Amino acid sequence: MAQQEGYTIKLPTFEGPFDLLFHLIKKAEVDIWSVSIAEITEQYLAYLQSMRELNLDIASEFLVMAATLLRLKSKLLLPRSNLINEEETEDELFEINTAEELFQRLEEYRNFKEVAQYLREKEEEQKKIFLRSTGGQKVMVLTGQESVYTIWEGAQHLSDIMQRFSEVASAKEYTPAFSAVEDFVIADKADYIESTLQEKQRPMPMKSFVNGDSLWEIIVVFIALLEMARQKRVNLLQECHFGPILVSLKPKDEQHEEVNVGERTAENGH
Amino acid sequence: MEREQQKMVIEALLFLTEEPVTVKKIGQVLSVSPEEAESLVCELKENLSLSGRGIQVFETAGGYQMGTLPELAPHLEKAFSEDVSSNLSTAALEVLAIVAYKQPVTRVEVESIRGVRCEHVLDNLVKRKLIKISGRKEGPGRPRLYSTTADFLKYFGLKDLSELPELELESRPSEETGETLSRDAEIPAGVEQIKYDFENQNGDH
Repeated sequence: MAQQEGYTIKLPTFEGPFDLLFHLIKKAEVDIWSVSIAEITEQYLAYLQSMRELNLDIASEFLVMAATLLRLKSKLLLPRSNLINEEETEDELFEINTAEELFQRLEEYRNFKEVAQYLREKEEEQKKIFLRSTGGQKVMVLTGQESVYTIWEGAQHLSDIMQRFSEVASAKEYTPAFSAVEDFVIADKADYIESTLQEKQRPMPMKSFVNGDSLWEIIVVFIALLEMARQKRVNLLQECHFGPILVSLKPKDEQHEEVNVGERTAENGH
Repeated sequence: MEREQQKMVIEALLFLTEEPVTVKKIGQVLSVSPEEAESLVCELKENLSLSGRGIQVFETAGGYQMGTLPELAPHLEKAFSEDVSSNLSTAALEVLAIVAYKQPVTRVEVESIRGVRCEHVLDNLVKRKLIKISGRKEGPGRPRLYSTTADFLKYFGLKDLSELPELELESRPSEETGETLSRDAEIPAGVEQIKYDFENQNGDH
């Protein structure tokens, strides 16, 4: 019988008892509707046995199916008249009382398996198409209101975003979410950043200008840096999305010659 | 506005938008009818493919979207290798297939077709937004009903559900309606909401 050939060491994994049955039927090269229950049951049990020998965990569904198959097989051995008033089974998964029902279920399963295969092909096809949303990163500017402005990075210069922010902040009665003592003034912070950079003579991560852990200070440092970039006093460099932002001092001689600091920074940000 | 300029506007619009754009929306932007918008998109599509560009306009989830050409994938993968997500499991695809045809459908119904418990698979698919809980079935326990989402169509690049192959079953959807499968017949009474959701997800045509 067919079961001797295939059950070697390497067992394919099945998505469930229907999948396994379907595989067995395909292997026997017969049509679903002409499968002999006795034969398929034997093969099915042989398969479970080999799973057991390999110490594989057998999911309960496989065992329920085995019981169902045995029940169907034993029923076929009994005289027909005994089958008329069949008690209803309580089992959710396999309310299968006749071989026809089993075949019907298998047939239905086979259909969906084919659709799953179709979906797999579509998935592969679609994977080859890259969309803008997978590469581009968004910059969000939040207002005091609920509305959100979305600006594409690269589409606008940093200075434009700054500009936009101040417009938004002044146009809608902007009320700060919290009131803080103004320990940090943007101009002071900018001077501090510049003097630190001059002292160290190397690019510094943005983080290093934040001394405490107050949110307010982080905001001030960030705005100060944007302002300095706009004034062409510093270069901002971000090597990858969400990566650290490196700040370096713009050499004095370049400071007035170069025009588009904002643009350069935006490009670097990509 | 000249036709060429209208196409430029559509190109720009599709370039900027991360989601599929419906012809209705394009029509609104250009103040033309959806039919006119459709024909403009088709022309744009053709222009792009004839002029040897790396991008294309394609139809998906009831709208149009801009993406790269599939044949460029081997090169682009080098740049975006981290972003390439793993494929769905066979189990997930089987469950999706069943939900797509039988929706709205309960977990037990899905399980009875697959012959395996599917709770985890369903949960994961909901998390991935490929299916959603679209309502509850009347009856004992009021079990959750699952339906596919617009993201499902997008993920597989399907225009709508009618693009799925027909099932060779007695319960096969009737061809006469020409509608997306036999959804209407399958919706039990009292779940109008689901029907509404379903129509919405197909986008505007």
